Amino acid sequence: MQALHTAASGMRAQEQNIQTVANNIANIRTTGFKKQRAEFQDLLYTDLRRVGSTSSNAGTIVPTGIQIGSGVKFAATSRVLTQGSLEQTEQPLNVAVRGEGYFEVQLPDGRTAFTRDGSFERNQDGTVVTLDGYQVGGGITIPDDARSITISNDGQVEVVSGNDSNSTNVGTIELVSFINPGGLEAIGDNLFVETDASGDPQNGTPGDDGLGTMLQGFLEGSNVEAVAEISDLITAQRAYELNSRVISAADEMMQSAGQILR
Amino acid sequence: MLSQAGELWLYFGKLKGFVMENAQLITLSRINALERQMDIVANNLANVNTTGYKGENLLFEEYLMPVASAEEFKHGDRDLRFVLDDRTVGNFQTGNIETTGNQTDVAIKGEGFFAVQTPAGERYTRDGSFTINDQGQLTTHSGFPVLGQGGPLQFDQSDKAITITGNGVVSTENGEIGRIRIVTFDDVQTLNRKGQNLFEGENPQNLETPRLAQHSLETANVDAVGQISQMIQVQRAYEQLASMMTQQNDLRENAIQTLGRVQVNA
Repeated sequence: MQALHTAASGMRAQEQNIQTVANNIANIRTTGFKKQRAEFQDLLYTDLRRVGSTSSNAGTIVPTGIQIGSGVKFAATSRVLTQGSLEQTEQPLNVAVRGEGYFEVQLPDGRTAFTRDGSFERNQDGTVVTLDGYQVGGGITIPDDARSITISNDGQVEVVSGNDSNSTNVGTIELVSFINPGGLEAIGDNLFVETDASGDPQNGTPGDDGLGTMLQGFLEGSNVEAVAEISDLITAQRAYELNSRVISAADEMMQSAGQILR
Repeated sequence: MLSQAGELWLYFGKLKGFVMENAQLITLSRINALERQMDIVANNLANVNTTGYKGENLLFEEYLMPVASAEEFKHGDRDLRFVLDDRTVGNFQTGNIETTGNQTDVAIKGEGFFAVQTPAGERYTRDGSFTINDQGQLTTHSGFPVLGQGGPLQFDQSDKAITITGNGVVSTENGEIGRIRIVTFDDVQTLNRKGQNLFEGENPQNLETPRLAQHSLETANVDAVGQISQMIQVQRAYEQLASMMTQQNDLRENAIQTLGRVQVNA
């Protein structure tokens, strides 16, 4: 009986669905996290009687055949890229992006990664880095004696240092955009790397070219909504149960078939 | 001797209303059909969370066995009705529209299908969870380009903020890209399911006034409660038939024993 395998594929798919939901909920407080959605597709169909096959010598054709599907497969996890809520932190090096765009981060292995997590710090040399110590953008160095740091909407970093009363520009935090940000590959640590599907990064000035603006002293929270996730979780759990009921029903049917000859 | 036994056998069968093998065979035809119905219910339930999935149902028909033309029997031959499952019908009602917030997610409200280009030819789908591939084309999650009125919808690397209007016009900040092609069919039941949420069909007609919703997806239209009750029905019918087969088998065993005794006595 195909039903057993079909229901098993359904249970497996719902398991992965629950994993996706669990990961979303686990990251509900992760800065810049974008929630994922599980996408499913139906599997191949068996044509027991093909649509359009000839049904008589007179050339009549079967208008609708019998097609029995063999279950479901996990097709993709798509990222939902809506804006997360902004949370005030008062930290001068915390930056949130309102709108589209990613910060560039230099990985130790030479690659460039992208992130929405703007919780930056200074390292021992005064360079602006992520919480993991990776350099942000082309490298912005804040002088040791900087008294105040200002980051404007368009990413200009200005500091007032020492006894100076005027601010000096020490660099720009740039944003990049992608034609298909959903195609970025997540590598953990709130970082993404470009893939063939995401396209090349397009550099631009914040607030221009369709890019978002920066907001100093704020961080972007995750876009996970607890209520939506819980209702997704319930749906997934019930779907799992339904499929397990199909397995036990198919099992009982086979059992009664086995008892025909007693 | 043998012919006498044969006549008795037939007579015995007639007493019961029909030749006994037929009772087994008719039950078998129903049992086979029920197994297939169970497979379909299982597939519907497995796809309860599949975007744009359309439920499926099996239809049954009587199959009238041609009646023997010989007139050797005293009573006329009875017609036998076998169970024939001869078509699956899709339930093409629109599912629920769920908001996802993704700019490349599109749901069709009401009738129509998206047209996609696959290596095997044009296919149709209700699953509007699209993405953009490395060449900047709007594609399904399997990587098949979604067709606009004039071929695939091509974005530029620098395009941002995609908007899709209710009647399918796709545009970005840099201007209009094209219009999503939505097609309808004279009879949706003739569509052939190909997996990956795709259908195959002939003579698609362009729908001039589609109603689309961006940032949304259509959920499967499978009614879980209905499917579960159908499953219970199938399961119970199956069990009844199985016990009927057991009874028929007992009956036959009895007949063989009884007839065997007659033969010995004669």
